[in-house]
Amino acid sequence: MMAPFFKYGMFGDETSLVVAFLIGIGFGFFLERAGFGSARKLVSQFYLNDLAVFKVMFTAIVTAMLGVTYLGWIGWLDLSLVYLVPTYLMPQIVGGLILGVGFVVGGYCPGTSVAATATGRIDGLVYVVGIFAGMFAFAEMYPLVKGFYLSGAGVAMTIPGTFDVPYGVVVFAVVLMAVGGFYGAGLLEKKFATAAGE
Amino acid sequence: MRNRMSTLTLNQKLALAAVLLGAIALFAAPYPGSRVTLDAKELALAVAKEADHVEAPELAAWIIESRADYRLIDLRSEAEYAQYHIPTAVNVPMGNLTDAGLGRQETLVLYSDGGIHSAQAWMLLKAQGYKGVYMLKGGLEEWKDRVVFPVLADNPTSEQRSGDERLRSVSTFFGGQPRSASAVSAGGGGMPGMAMPTAPALPKVTAPPSPAGGAKPGPAKKKEGC
Amino acid sequence: MTTTSAEGLGVPMEAAHAAPRSRPQAYMNPYLAGIGLGLVLLASFVLVGRGLGASGAFNSVIAWGVHAVAPEHAKSNEFMAGYLGDGSQSPLKSWLLFEVIGVFAGAMFSGLLAGRAKVMTEKGPRVSVRTRLAMAFAGGVLMAFGAAFARGCTSGQALTGGALLNLGSWAFMMMVFAGAYAVANFLRWEWR
Repeated sequence: MMAPFFKYGMFGDETSLVVAFLIGIGFGFFLERAGFGSARKLVSQFYLNDLAVFKVMFTAIVTAMLGVTYLGWIGWLDLSLVYLVPTYLMPQIVGGLILGVGFVVGGYCPGTSVAATATGRIDGLVYVVGIFAGMFAFAEMYPLVKGFYLSGAGVAMTIPGTFDVPYGVVVFAVVLMAVGGFYGAGLLEKKFATAAGE
Repeated sequence: MRNRMSTLTLNQKLALAAVLLGAIALFAAPYPGSRVTLDAKELALAVAKEADHVEAPELAAWIIESRADYRLIDLRSEAEYAQYHIPTAVNVPMGNLTDAGLGRQETLVLYSDGGIHSAQAWMLLKAQGYKGVYMLKGGLEEWKDRVVFPVLADNPTSEQRSGDERLRSVSTFFGGQPRSASAVSAGGGGMPGMAMPTAPALPKVTAPPSPAGGAKPGPAKKKEGC
Repeated sequence: MTTTSAEGLGVPMEAAHAAPRSRPQAYMNPYLAGIGLGLVLLASFVLVGRGLGASGAFNSVIAWGVHAVAPEHAKSNEFMAGYLGDGSQSPLKSWLLFEVIGVFAGAMFSGLLAGRAKVMTEKGPRVSVRTRLAMAFAGGVLMAFGAAFARGCTSGQALTGGALLNLGSWAFMMMVFAGAYAVANFLRWEWR
């Protein structure tokens, strides 16, 4: 099997846009199913009474990670053709912190804000407008931040590759960490359960 | 055991499945590495049908027309590339070929001094699944011989004249000059040393911008991020 | 009351005994939703060779919008110019943009199906709608900067990069949680 199909030329750019739309539907569907169209549910993660964000995110990561590992292993997926976003460590660290703050301030992240808008949340819509405003501001400020923005390796780096650990070992470690985390999440939720069950 | 299994909740069953799959994955080697499978018949057929190369005059025409639908790859060392390279060529020394980020669907024309390295590179890339690889037949030798310093008959017939004019203008375009047939057969008239044509002589072609660090190929592709 | 109460499951008390379609349905088991999401992500890898994303789509729209109003300014801005390319294709013909439109459609579909689609403002009990909306806007602005520096957001970096064991993505992911937990206490007034 020659996957990724698009990279082996099995369909063209136009079709890939249709595929994008369909995949997006799946993405948005499960986001809303999990309740991520609701800011209150999302921020409950950070008030420790509802850790669905952690559970959904890491289950998704483990599922897809095991998927690509097995498919790559049996040779059905050429993992070297799957796009890996280059690592710019400092900007990503700083960006992550800013994003974390923005998450609690605004109540969403870009993907969930779209899901929220789609289910009628006005705050989701305002958030989306905020993203546009912020992106425009960033673009205008680009010359000032360019130096920092471009600092870092700028090449694709994986954890197994960088620390010279076998890929499978990292995979297993992630699975253990996730399952352990899920167990811990259950305990935390019981401890911090609020009266209103928010 | 069955009783035990049935008393587990759904979540616990999922956790068990995950740990099991994770444990098996301990031995996984998902990245394909550099081992390839060759379809010998397919490759032999491609060579036999001459679907594997491009001739020097063809390439010259593409460059003059400023075609941007292919990438010209110079397989020699950086030093040799700096000394002279076919205009619009990108330098990818043989050793870096697998890391260069060349697209599997792109049209790639490979050249080296003669034909050996480009033939080897062609074989390697075809084996890895690159669909649009071609060699420049005869490499730089034939490029010099037929494009930059073409041999023109001393007393051309009227039919030959227009063809000769074309050869002359192409040769000038690339900073060279034609040689006379008599001089060549007399044993002299060897090709002048090939230095990188100086700026005025260099053809003004709009080359596809060479991507930084072997990233996304072709004309400036708009980025999408994530 | 514990989180297993009907309220905690996102179902108003009186709806707990009502027919499903006309009243908001309980959310899906997070692990099942996670598996669903993971399979969608896997499908993306297998079909197209790339993962999910969201923030990049916003950039494409901005680049297109600014270009429509002030083309020279857009082209001279290095950041936007990247999304315009050589001008042969509209920035709106972006894989990510189509994906995000799909997210909108999929979420709407799920929300309508579950009876959870409702025009409202999500907020805590102590804060006014106006303040909440102002905070939502501010959050979006912050998010944009964060995602710009990080080259992605939770979908592109955390989910996609996480599954691919991308070094920068994991660092990013940990920082998101760190940043959020760090400020949660100071923003309790907005949510609790």
